[in-house]
Amino acid sequence: MSSMLEQLAPEADLIDDQYVGIRRRARQRLMTHGFPDLKTEAWKYTSLRVLEKRELEGGSDIGSVEPKTLPFEACIIRFDNGLLDDASLDLPEGVYLEPLDPSELVNVDYGDRADAMAWLNLARFDQAWKLVIAGEVEKPLVLATTLSEAFRAGVHPRLKIEVADGASAVLIEQQRDYGAGLINIVQDIHVGRGAQLRHIIQRRNADSIWVQRTRVNVSADGDYRCHALELAGRLVRQDLAVHLLEAGANGEIDGVAYVDSKQHVDWHTAIDHEVGHTNSRESFRILADGSGVGVFNGRIHIQRGADDSHSDLNTANLLLSENARINTKPELEIYAEEVTASHGATIGQLEDSALFYLRSRGLPADEAMALLKFGFAAAPLETLEIADLREWLTNELHRVL
Amino acid sequence: MLNIQDLRVAIGDKEIIKGLDLAIGPGELHAIMGPNGSGKSTLGYALAGREGYDITGGKVEFEGADLADMEPEERAAAGLFLAFQYPVEIPGVNNAYFLRAALNAQRKARGEEEVDSMTFLKTVRESLKALKMDESLLKRAVNEGFSGGEKKRNEIVQMAVLNPKLAVLDETDSGLDIDALKLVAEGINAQRDGKRSFLVITHYQRLLDYLTPDRVHVLAGGRIVESGGQELAERLEAEGYAFLEEESAA
Repeated sequence: MSSMLEQLAPEADLIDDQYVGIRRRARQRLMTHGFPDLKTEAWKYTSLRVLEKRELEGGSDIGSVEPKTLPFEACIIRFDNGLLDDASLDLPEGVYLEPLDPSELVNVDYGDRADAMAWLNLARFDQAWKLVIAGEVEKPLVLATTLSEAFRAGVHPRLKIEVADGASAVLIEQQRDYGAGLINIVQDIHVGRGAQLRHIIQRRNADSIWVQRTRVNVSADGDYRCHALELAGRLVRQDLAVHLLEAGANGEIDGVAYVDSKQHVDWHTAIDHEVGHTNSRESFRILADGSGVGVFNGRIHIQRGADDSHSDLNTANLLLSENARINTKPELEIYAEEVTASHGATIGQLEDSALFYLRSRGLPADEAMALLKFGFAAAPLETLEIADLREWLTNELHRVL
Repeated sequence: MLNIQDLRVAIGDKEIIKGLDLAIGPGELHAIMGPNGSGKSTLGYALAGREGYDITGGKVEFEGADLADMEPEERAAAGLFLAFQYPVEIPGVNNAYFLRAALNAQRKARGEEEVDSMTFLKTVRESLKALKMDESLLKRAVNEGFSGGEKKRNEIVQMAVLNPKLAVLDETDSGLDIDALKLVAEGINAQRDGKRSFLVITHYQRLLDYLTPDRVHVLAGGRIVESGGQELAERLEAEGYAFLEEESAA
């Protein structure tokens, strides 16, 4: 695995900037822990070995692709090939973007090899931004990350997002990859007291390896809701950890992932009830076709003393071909009292009776199948109460099913 | 319209329909009655083309075409409709969307123009109103969370919108209270135009009180054992199916 370290973070390539001390420390940790392999529990079904074989090369001449136009008004923040050009940025009132101060990174700590990609990001990030949302922002903020066809690089975007007390916003991550490189994103989101954040992740990839780690801290009476439409790619690994830090905090995740042909998607989510009187809900669905692989691990952790907390976790999965694979695991760990927590997991196939019903009404088999798949997949998106956005997501889903 | 000769249908290795003959002409309404397990629903599924219900012998002609060669959707486009005994719930699929997609798929298969959403909604709304169903059902998922009666009435709404030549109604009356039963019967009668044909599969006579069938058949042991007029249905209601056994034993 040291070859992977040399491949991904050669010492000579560490940028000598204001963060250099932080970078060196991160690289040191990487050297100590190494990268995860299939024996690492959190990476049991997802191998990063493909990175060993992949020649990542920079190159300034790789062009950029316009993000797809959205069918609603929004403020677009473009990350072309993972990098932000802030020169022409026009942000709405109450929204600020600034480089992250090194002091905010000095004490950053991750675990061992399971967190290697986060250490790698810390060693190698090209830019580190801080996005501050200080008021009630009406138009959705869109982080549009687009990797061009010629993208073969390794890029490590780093972003901290602060939603101030009482503020509210809709944040959309519109992520499109047409390339064959590596993108390794680390995000830290802070939802302030009484603040609201709707976080939408809409990703569709080609051959790049897409690793993203999102950690969300929710303060008292803060409300964080994530809606994800994962349309996969060669390899996607998303870690989403939501920490409910103070009473009244609410965290919800609704996601659907569709994998086809040789695609691989791995979603690891964790909702941590650190104190009592906190609520969470999660619903995640995977549809796997072709020889696609879908992995879902959903952990709910209700800590000692986090009494009067409520949580519900549900995962349903649809296997659409013999060669497709789904690994799904809901994990409930409860150490508190007066708690309600429930979970359920199913893996099934399309029902013959439903298929026949639709065909008997005149729908050809392929259309009937598409309609059933769509019906299954769209359910988690129905919880999004903003009609424009819900329609956009369901249309995106329609295009692939 | 429908011409069945010596039909045999098997589920797996088990033969359920064992040589059935039936001819339904245009505009006719036939009823098939029979005890549980006599093969009534099997007949409905075999006509609609459900996988696993294999036609192993005999012939089924619908408007001159051999049904055995046709996929379920081709049968639908040709004008065959099956109202299910147990309509299937399809979570996540919008009722109105589904019905319009089905209608347009049929029209496309027949080389007809697609129906625009205004015309479509008008037709559906009329049918809903006639069956005293709330318009909000259109926005809900197909049959999901519908009561038993709503599901059955929804089948009749679908029938009205899809406008088939032959409708096979598989125990559409079961699970309906008397008011719903009347509505369903009215829905069927509204479609009787002298051309459209019906095959009403039922366990009880009460639906037939409102429908006045041209012929009543009794299905037992996979065969039609007796045919007659409305009076046959009344006799079955009064005496039960036991007299059939006595007659066949005699």
